[in-house]
Amino acid sequence: MPDKVIDTPALAEKFAAYAEAHMPGVSNLRVIAMNRIHGGASRETFSVDIAYEDATGPKTKGLILRRDPPDSLIDTERRIEFAAIRSAYGKAGIPAPEALFLEIDEGPLGAPFFVMGRIEGGTPLNPFRIEDVEPHRADVGREFFRYLGAIASLDIEGTAISEEIDTPSPDQCWKRELDYWAGEIRSNTREPQPVAEAAIRYLSANPPPPAQKLSLVHGDFRTGNFLHDGEGHINAILDWEMAHIGDPYEDLAWATDLLWCGNDQERAAGFIPWPEAIGIWQEASGCKFDPAAFEWWSLFAHLKGLGIWTSSARAYADAKNDDPILAWSGWFTHAAHELMLASRLAPKHGVDL
Amino acid sequence: MSDVGMILQRVGATLVNDVAPKLEGDYAGGKAGMGGMLAVMAGEMWDKEADLLVGEITRLKALLSAAGIGEAEPRIESFKISDLKTMRNELASQLIELQASLEAKGDEASMALNRQIWGHLVATSAARMPSPPEFSGPDED
Repeated sequence: MPDKVIDTPALAEKFAAYAEAHMPGVSNLRVIAMNRIHGGASRETFSVDIAYEDATGPKTKGLILRRDPPDSLIDTERRIEFAAIRSAYGKAGIPAPEALFLEIDEGPLGAPFFVMGRIEGGTPLNPFRIEDVEPHRADVGREFFRYLGAIASLDIEGTAISEEIDTPSPDQCWKRELDYWAGEIRSNTREPQPVAEAAIRYLSANPPPPAQKLSLVHGDFRTGNFLHDGEGHINAILDWEMAHIGDPYEDLAWATDLLWCGNDQERAAGFIPWPEAIGIWQEASGCKFDPAAFEWWSLFAHLKGLGIWTSSARAYADAKNDDPILAWSGWFTHAAHELMLASRLAPKHGVDL
Repeated sequence: MSDVGMILQRVGATLVNDVAPKLEGDYAGGKAGMGGMLAVMAGEMWDKEADLLVGEITRLKALLSAAGIGEAEPRIESFKISDLKTMRNELASQLIELQASLEAKGDEASMALNRQIWGHLVATSAARMPSPPEFSGPDED
C-alpha cells in the first residue's frame, strides 16, 4: 500500500479547514495523507499528515485524529481521554502523546473528535506475540513497569482530569469500579453469565484494603497499547479512553493480567521476573506492594475484561459497529477471562483443580 | 457441499494468510485478518456447539434437581442451536439464583452443592475456550 494517500477525501477536506482555523498563525494548511488505522475500536482512528505555512516557513506535522464512532468497545467521553492525556503529557518522562484539539460539536467532522500529535517511529506489540520484541524483552519490560509506576506517581491535584471527573475516597475506589463494570455486564449481556455474577458477589463480599494513594489510572495500560522503538524503549503510551482517578493497583493488575502476558506466567506481563517488576513499580509509584490488594484487583481485572468484552459483543450484535474485533473480543477474550475467573474462584469454594 | 466447519476454516485461513497480508497497512487489512480468525473460530465451534449445549443442559438440570428444582432428566425437543441456547440460558439463569442462595445459606450441604456448581462452571468455561489464535508476523508473510 502507498504511504501517502487520503482514503477519506471528504473528511480530509473538512479536517484541513478545522485545523487551520484552530492553529494560530497558520495558513495554506493541507492534508497530504489520511489513513484509517485498525485497532482503535473505541474510536475511529486516523493517521494524518498536514502541511502548512507559518511565520517561519513551510512545515509538516503528523497527527492522530480520534473520532467517535456510532458505538465502540468502551463507551467513554472523549473529553476524559483528552484530559487524561493532558494530565500525563510531559510529566515524569511518561511518553504520552501531545493533546492538541478537542471538539465536542458534531458539526465540523460529523462526530466529536480530538487530535493528538503523532509519535513517530513506534511499533505496537501484539500481546499474543510478545516474543516479537526480542531481544529487548527485558528492557521493554523494565520501561513498562517504570511508566506504569510513573503514572501512579503523578500528583492529581489540579490536573486536567481531576477537573473533569470525581475523585473517589480511598476506601471506595474498588466499589465504584466494581459497580460500574457489574452494571456494564448486566446491561449488555446477551445471555446469562453465572461466572461473572459469582465473581461480582465474591468481590463485593471480600473487598480490598483502601487505596494507598489516589492516582491517575490509565485504565487500559497493557501490551498492545504502547509503541516501542525496536531497540528496547517504549516511545508512546496510547489508548487513555478508560482513564480515571482511583487505586493504582487497578492498573498494576490489569497490566499483568494473564490475557496480556503471552501465556508466560513466570514473567510479569510476559516481560521480566515478578520480583523485579514489582520492585520497579514500587520505586516509580511510591506504593508498597500488598498481596491482598493485588489479589482482589487481579480478580477484578478478569471481571473488568468481561465487562469490556460483553459490551463489545453487544455493539457488534446490535449492528452498531461492524468492526470484527468487537466480535472477536466478545468471543475469544471473553471466553479467556471467564475461564481465568472460574479457575481462580472455584478453589476458593473448595474445588480441587 | 455442506461441510460447514471445513469451509469456514478454509475461508478463514484464506483471509488471514492471503488477503490480509496484501492489505498490510490499510484499515481493511486488519478487518480481513480479524474476520478470517473469526471464521476459523466459527468453523471450530460449528462442529461442537450442539454437543456443548446438550452437555451443559444435562449438567444444569442435574444441579438444579439436586436442589429440588425441576427434574434431573432433560427433555430436549429440538436440537436446533437456537433452541438449545434458549433452553440452556433459562437453566443458567436459574443456576445463578440457586448459587446465590447457596452462598447465603453457607451450611455444609449448600457448600457441597456449590462445589459441584463451580466444577460445572470451570468445565463449561474450559470446554468453550476457542483454540488460540494464530497471529502471523511480518517475517511470516
